[in-house]
Amino acid sequence: MTLKNMFSPNRREFLLSASAAAAAAGTGLMPRAAQAATSMRYMCWEGYDKPSIIQSFEAANDATVSIDLITDSAAGFAKLAAGGYRDFDVVSSDSPWIARMGPAGIGEYLDDADFADAYAGFYPQFQAPFTPLQHDGKSTGLPTRWGWVGPTVNTKFDTLETWSSYAPCFDPAYKDKICVMDWGDWPILPMALYAGIDPYKELDKAELEEIRKVLRALFKNTRAVVADLSVAQKGLLDGSFRALIGGGTYATSVLRKDGHKEIMSIVPDKKDGLNQGIIWMEATGIVKGTSDVEKAKALVKHMVSPEVAVELAWTDATCNLVPSKNAEDVFTAEQKDALQVDYAQTAWNGSHFHDVAPNIDDLLKIFQEELALSQ
Amino acid sequence: MTLIEVNHVEKYYGTYHALKDISLNVEDGEFIALVGPSGCGKTSLLKILAGFEDLTEGALHIEGRSMVGVPPSQRPTRMVFQKLALFPHKTIYDNIAFPLRIAKVDATTIKTKVDEMIELMHLKPEYLTRFPAQLSGGEQQRVALARAMVSGPSVLLLDEPLSALDVKLKKSLQTELKRLHRIVGTTFVHVTHDLEEAMMLADRICVMRAGEVLQVGTPDEIYYRPATEFVSGFIGETNLIDCEVTRSGDTAAFKSETIAGACEGLAAAQVAPAIEGGAAKLMVRPEKIDFAEGDHGLDCTLDGKVEEFFKKGATTQYRVRLTQNDQLIFVELPGAPDVPKDVGDPVTLGFNRADVYILKADSHAG
Amino acid sequence: MRVKEVNWSNKGLLSATGPLTIMLLLFFLIPFFMTVVLSFQSTQYYRLQWTWDLDIWKEVFSEYFIWRIMWRTLTMSALCVVLCVVISLPIAYALINRMKSMENNVKILIVFAFLADAVLKTFGWVLVLDKSGVMNGFLAWIGLPEIDILFSPTATMIGMVYNLVPYTIFTIYLSMDRIDRDLVRAAYDAGASRFRTFWEVTLPLSKPGIFAGAILVFVLSLGVFLEPKVMGGGTRPMAAELIRQSFETRVNWPLGAALTLVVIAIGAITLAIAGKIAARTSAANATLAQEDSK
Repeated sequence: MTLKNMFSPNRREFLLSASAAAAAAGTGLMPRAAQAATSMRYMCWEGYDKPSIIQSFEAANDATVSIDLITDSAAGFAKLAAGGYRDFDVVSSDSPWIARMGPAGIGEYLDDADFADAYAGFYPQFQAPFTPLQHDGKSTGLPTRWGWVGPTVNTKFDTLETWSSYAPCFDPAYKDKICVMDWGDWPILPMALYAGIDPYKELDKAELEEIRKVLRALFKNTRAVVADLSVAQKGLLDGSFRALIGGGTYATSVLRKDGHKEIMSIVPDKKDGLNQGIIWMEATGIVKGTSDVEKAKALVKHMVSPEVAVELAWTDATCNLVPSKNAEDVFTAEQKDALQVDYAQTAWNGSHFHDVAPNIDDLLKIFQEELALSQ
Repeated sequence: MTLIEVNHVEKYYGTYHALKDISLNVEDGEFIALVGPSGCGKTSLLKILAGFEDLTEGALHIEGRSMVGVPPSQRPTRMVFQKLALFPHKTIYDNIAFPLRIAKVDATTIKTKVDEMIELMHLKPEYLTRFPAQLSGGEQQRVALARAMVSGPSVLLLDEPLSALDVKLKKSLQTELKRLHRIVGTTFVHVTHDLEEAMMLADRICVMRAGEVLQVGTPDEIYYRPATEFVSGFIGETNLIDCEVTRSGDTAAFKSETIAGACEGLAAAQVAPAIEGGAAKLMVRPEKIDFAEGDHGLDCTLDGKVEEFFKKGATTQYRVRLTQNDQLIFVELPGAPDVPKDVGDPVTLGFNRADVYILKADSHAG
Repeated sequence: MRVKEVNWSNKGLLSATGPLTIMLLLFFLIPFFMTVVLSFQSTQYYRLQWTWDLDIWKEVFSEYFIWRIMWRTLTMSALCVVLCVVISLPIAYALINRMKSMENNVKILIVFAFLADAVLKTFGWVLVLDKSGVMNGFLAWIGLPEIDILFSPTATMIGMVYNLVPYTIFTIYLSMDRIDRDLVRAAYDAGASRFRTFWEVTLPLSKPGIFAGAILVFVLSLGVFLEPKVMGGGTRPMAAELIRQSFETRVNWPLGAALTLVVIAIGAITLAIAGKIAARTSAANATLAQEDSK
């Protein structure tokens, strides 16, 4: 474990420094800001704000982009829905939330024809019309990053076969060895799947109680509930944690990038006829009432272009897959290995595509309660 | 019996030489005052006696026991602090009882002793449950004394405890201190910058300046036979006149250009022991001088002119400018409703040889 | 000082107090009022509904887990206060009595540690307490078995005490520094040992500082967030984490607002009780003040 890893930025801590930098940019400390023709506000997850990505867009489009980093997708959506959408032009967030912006009246629908070039370079499963981002036959955004959620394990300590099921999470032999990622619904959904319940449909009381039991059992074995990526990764490397639950590729690939090839995220085997993996995807959409639709579209196109997609896949904090097949050709063998590209199709096949669970309110409350009462 | 022996004590604070070769013996039951202007070393000496400061060199014995390295808590001394240092969070009872409690005296004895103390100090019993801040300055003073005396120390060290009080209260507490000393008979070492207070209270006075002891003696010796010009000027006004002195056996004589009359036949004791002869100062206290008129019968006379007079009630002070050398002479006469001399009147002043003391001129007297 | 009668239309007065009034309104009263208003609403599917009902408050008072966390927060805060005071007393005493020559250097060091970014310090502690961290490296070096306290309540407490102890060090230091040295001398002079003097004189007279520090630490520890989450491993969440979960993860703003008000109320009630206790012992404090003014 190196110091560099320890202090590598992560979703939450990143916010502090990055938002300060964004504020500095916004107040015109950067001389460029004053001269640009268009000034845009962009709400996004970390990675999208990478200087090489933003600066090349600014230079090509005579615009300044000020960044507002998301720390929680639901909270980001709530902020927009509460009227914040008036302040923003473009948003990159988890796909269910982008898909929701149109129907909620805070997102512009896109014409897929405008983005035909981009789609042409995508993997087959992301081709237009891309269902997860469709509403009433209209497109709400374009996919930009993706990966899968499954146990993240250290093969130095465990075989991949051990984690072909979430069963070790509840095995007394793994007591105080499990790390649950404190990332909203992400750790809850796999547990529902393990309980044999599809969380993406309406759940009845009995099913919710079943999920409650699984979470209670999970917390019995849980050493830590961690929001900070570097802390989780450090524990995984030194064997304090045998698995990260709720993380998946998002938590893995930067370690693999740094040479820790023993760290892998996998999708457990189908259980009771139910896929155990979840595909997560981030998408980029345009906010309703943006002052310059053309510039906003240009930013979306910028984000899905193969050159930018490669940059976006490979950031300091996290490494992720992108929908652009053309980008894959640009990756080196080393990069492909770090991103587990070879495993991607297997993962896709064994997974659900993530959406907002209809009973998410209940699930989050159950999580909060069970965590509070676990110790 | 000698209770405290201070032998050739030196004290340095860093490079600052605070006490220079101090030697002093204090007798059991004596009331001794350490007097001098601020910075003279009197407080340092007191702190060395109490054990709050270590001496750099020399020896200190109390009750025959060497005090070097003995902490304050193990010494037979008790201190009354300048700002009293009563414990603000403890009641008067608890303040007075504190030393007894530390000494693990049983509760009944403590009660008896505290009651004795408040009676001795004329404190009201209802004060016992109050806190120090609820008492007046004078009452606090009595509590501080009570706390210091309750466990019967053999030496009571008083660090200018009266300096912060107003004149009237100060006078009454001075009386009180004298009374206490008479009743209790404990040895008192009292530090003050007020020589008048020292003269009122002490059996002996130790006058200090710049880390040195100038003179140790009874109040009379200090007043009438000061060892140096500085000591003579430390209390009240005095008159010092330049003169030449010659010793011859049991007698001595002086000569001065400003003084006329019989200047011979002084007792040898009227000349400070350190003086062999030659230039010296003739001291005559203002109250020993009178106007020399008619058949005055005074031994020596001086000529001058009244420059100013002050009516002080019991006395009237005249300031007379001498004709010969323009020196100002103070004359203190019993007060009277009329003023025998007015400003500008030429006068002749006179005094008797017996009231004269000849002392050494300070090398750098100002 | 005499109080002058001043009219509200007095321009000087208005301009003098105006900025402060506006600041208080903008940054305290208005947000507080909004929080109160928010707690009477509800959320549905991540969107605020202006329902004006008591549902949230009913939920707050009926959910056992909320009060379990509040109780945990209270006990952790109380323990933190006790530890901070116990640690600060000898440090403040040493600063004044034993390290006069190094006093300023030590004070500067404490201030630096205090001013350093809390996030950085907390993550620094992870490096120290970690299984493969500095502490265990040291233990192995001196031949002791490794201890694994990261992600435990102990680690949370270490973090809380570390981050908050400067408050008690400084308030107690200031209080002790004001004690007349002669009071300590008087106790020694009366025969008391160093410990007895500390117990009978220094400690009771440091009470104002102990009180002030304890209150500061208590109020601040009600709101600790990073320590239980990062060092404590998040399995024993405290009030601030509960509020964060409600606002951010559950996007249940009314619940978050109501929980915020509960924590504010707990803090305010504690302050009121502490004020009562302080008033009872104020005889001694007032005395000290009077003594000073002489």
